[in-house]
Amino acid sequence: MDLFNPGFWTFVAVIAGIYGIMALGLYVQFSLAGLPNFGHVAFMAVAAYAMAILVVRYEVPLALAALGGLAAAVVLAVVMGVPALRLRADYLAIATIAGSEIIRYLVMSLPELTGGAIGSMGLLGPGEIALYNQDWQAFRDAIAGLVTPLLGAAPSHDEVTMALVWALLIGLIALFWRLERSPWGRVLKGIREDDTAVAAVGKNVVHFKMQALIIGAILGGLAGLLLAWQIGVFSPDDYQPTLTFYAYLILILGGVNRIWAIPVGAVLFSLLYTGTRFLNFFPLSLFDPGERAFLRLFLVGLLLVLFMALRPEGAFGDRRQLMLEK
Amino acid sequence: MLEQLAQLTVNGLITGTILALTAVGATLVFGIQRIANLAHGEFLTFAAYVALLLNVFCGLNLFVATAGAMLGTAALAVLLHFIVLKPLSNRGLVATCLITVGLGLMLRDVIFLVAGPEVRKFDLDQTIVYDLGLIRISPGQAVAMTITVVVAPLVAYFLARTTLGKSMRAVSDNRDLAAVSGIDVERIGTYVWLLAGALAGIGGVMFAVVQGTFDPNLGFYVLFLVFTTVVLGGIGSAFGALTAGFVLGLVMELSTWSGLFGGLAPKFKPVLAFVALILLLLYRPQGLFGKARVL
Amino acid sequence: MLLDVRSVAKSFGGVAAVSDATFDVAEGSITSLIGPNGAGKTTVFNLVSGFIRADRGEISFAGRRIERLSGDRIARAGLVRIFQTPRVLTRMTVLENMMLAAKDQPGERLWSAWMTPRRVARKEAEGRDKAEQRLALIRLSHLTHEYAGALSGGQRKLLELGRALMVEPRMILLDEPMAGVAPVLREQLLDHIRELRAEQGVTVCIIEHDMDVVMSISDRIIVMDDGTVIADGPPDAIQDNPRVIEAYLGRSGGLDGGARA
Repeated sequence: MDLFNPGFWTFVAVIAGIYGIMALGLYVQFSLAGLPNFGHVAFMAVAAYAMAILVVRYEVPLALAALGGLAAAVVLAVVMGVPALRLRADYLAIATIAGSEIIRYLVMSLPELTGGAIGSMGLLGPGEIALYNQDWQAFRDAIAGLVTPLLGAAPSHDEVTMALVWALLIGLIALFWRLERSPWGRVLKGIREDDTAVAAVGKNVVHFKMQALIIGAILGGLAGLLLAWQIGVFSPDDYQPTLTFYAYLILILGGVNRIWAIPVGAVLFSLLYTGTRFLNFFPLSLFDPGERAFLRLFLVGLLLVLFMALRPEGAFGDRRQLMLEK
Repeated sequence: MLEQLAQLTVNGLITGTILALTAVGATLVFGIQRIANLAHGEFLTFAAYVALLLNVFCGLNLFVATAGAMLGTAALAVLLHFIVLKPLSNRGLVATCLITVGLGLMLRDVIFLVAGPEVRKFDLDQTIVYDLGLIRISPGQAVAMTITVVVAPLVAYFLARTTLGKSMRAVSDNRDLAAVSGIDVERIGTYVWLLAGALAGIGGVMFAVVQGTFDPNLGFYVLFLVFTTVVLGGIGSAFGALTAGFVLGLVMELSTWSGLFGGLAPKFKPVLAFVALILLLLYRPQGLFGKARVL
Repeated sequence: MLLDVRSVAKSFGGVAAVSDATFDVAEGSITSLIGPNGAGKTTVFNLVSGFIRADRGEISFAGRRIERLSGDRIARAGLVRIFQTPRVLTRMTVLENMMLAAKDQPGERLWSAWMTPRRVARKEAEGRDKAEQRLALIRLSHLTHEYAGALSGGQRKLLELGRALMVEPRMILLDEPMAGVAPVLREQLLDHIRELRAEQGVTVCIIEHDMDVVMSISDRIIVMDDGTVIADGPPDAIQDNPRVIEAYLGRSGGLDGGARA
């Protein structure tokens, strides 16, 4: 693929949309409520695996299984949240990253339940191949069918996914933009700065933080489901702890406290991600496909450091409102 | 059963000592620089690869290679301190965590790019087994034992008896009090990175040697064991970390003893450590020996 | 008795900050809590307002036992505390600080914030009116749209007071309200405290070191030393109480600042 192939750009858009939703979940937890969750990927993984297990093992219809996946993410949030909300910022970061590693490790070590390292293909046990996203593909084809007469040509699979994902992303951002400006958002803003002061005027701080955590979990779970459906077959490696830092990078690129900058950050990130995967001009051509993955991670690390050092408010953020000094 | 117990105890002591040494560096950094250095694992990986370079490609023996790794990692730690961490120290807890994550990613992936993802091993014949009756030890464990038996008491002596060591513990314990007593806190801050780097250097090579084979993911997997040790011993407490290392190493190994209701399956040992870490952070963040600080 | 504190104790790591505090506060009164540094006064405030949990003892507010409740629940019940160092939200404007504290806002509930925007807007407008009224009362109206971070120490104290009033408290705990306040603002602050009781029936309990203030404003004075209550009564009784004088001997040379021989 190269820069002039529209398929490349569609793929960029799909990835941007999915990771954007994941970043939005982190935005609610981190930018709104001030919770540095370094284990966000766990919500994605739990939702995806719960959904796949329900479809493949228990033959639950996909829509219901998707809800089941989201429910699993919520359960994880509640389990995490009840004790974790009283931790100091950096302790919370360590605890959450440890938590997400436990989840990934457990997934790998319990192949009877999760298919182990092979991933979702192994969900039915050795010798059988499990597929769970036929329903999603059917749904996608149905939409393609509906839209074809309007467009005059059949849209590709990726184009339909792109449209669906971006419709979701924009809709969700609009919703949370409104909520941010509501009294609910105001309490969270207060909590970010000084949760004791907010408690002293009678607001149930734990309740608000818990809400943010659960919302973030649902959004993360949704992103996890979409990612699973998009790649078809997934394994624990698709939900590595580094994904959480993709979300942070997206927020930082666009501006940690600007919700509308999320799509921008997501697209920039996606360009980095898919560019290193598919583009072949110099200097990328120096690296073979296996090495591209390492290069990509290196660049993610580099950008994290550079932005935190030189422009912590991101491309569009407001330095005055920056709450990172705690 | 008894044989297994003895074997597990020896394994636990060896792993425990390595953990203890590495954790001393990490805990002092946490206590003095107030940074949760999420890149610490990559220091260990870096050390293992430097040692690999010296041992396998330059033909030096493993002990010299370890010394080289120690120096290299100490240099790396101090370099990062001056170039990145010190100038950005005013950004706040979360920002610093993110920066260390970024540095870790960079370090790990440079190693991946330069050295490749292949599994590596040192120039050590791992097929020999030293049979000491009740227990058996591998060459890797023998090397680790030799080195740690020398280094651990030295470190303990350094911390307890030398001015620098005592100053470090003082700053870690109570920064303001130490400053008021005339200790140059800035300089100690630099020295602690040297120490942490050196200890991570030894620790990294030892982990790799005991494991037998390793790849660039070494440090990441060990990072949580180190952090668990740090928290268990009380963040900032050097002697706490030393003790906690032994405790954790022994507990992890002994948990698989068949005398304990059949024992934990070995693959769940890391889960034990992770769960311990989370429980500690939640319910006893001062660990076994730390002070209950106001969070 | 609006507030009833019985045999409350709290230790920190083996050191007893409060060993046995027993006192009560009548509704509509202004009570001062005084004592040398380290007597346990702020700890008592923290315990009563729910920000620390007592080791022993009982606390009742308006007939309800509150010693096990969290700080925010106690605030909602009508007992609000103000901190020694003002904790205003610096990244919000003065008005936003006030509106944040308003009671019973449907907009703070996620569902309502999403689904009933008109009702939320109406309540917000009511909240804004109330906030502006209060700001006028405490004479901070000229700073309504300033960021709270730009306010001076004394202004921040006033803002905290105004914010506490938005919660419609029955009782306010003021922790050293005069500390760090310019003399010009002190008299104003005193007037506000008296107005609180007179016009809004709010019961006030103050920790204070400035004896002139304490003598002039209090209906009753509670004296603490070394973690216990050593005296409790109207100002003139306290002034002549030998135990109290002894507790203060060497610190301020007498309760009246050494004016008497």
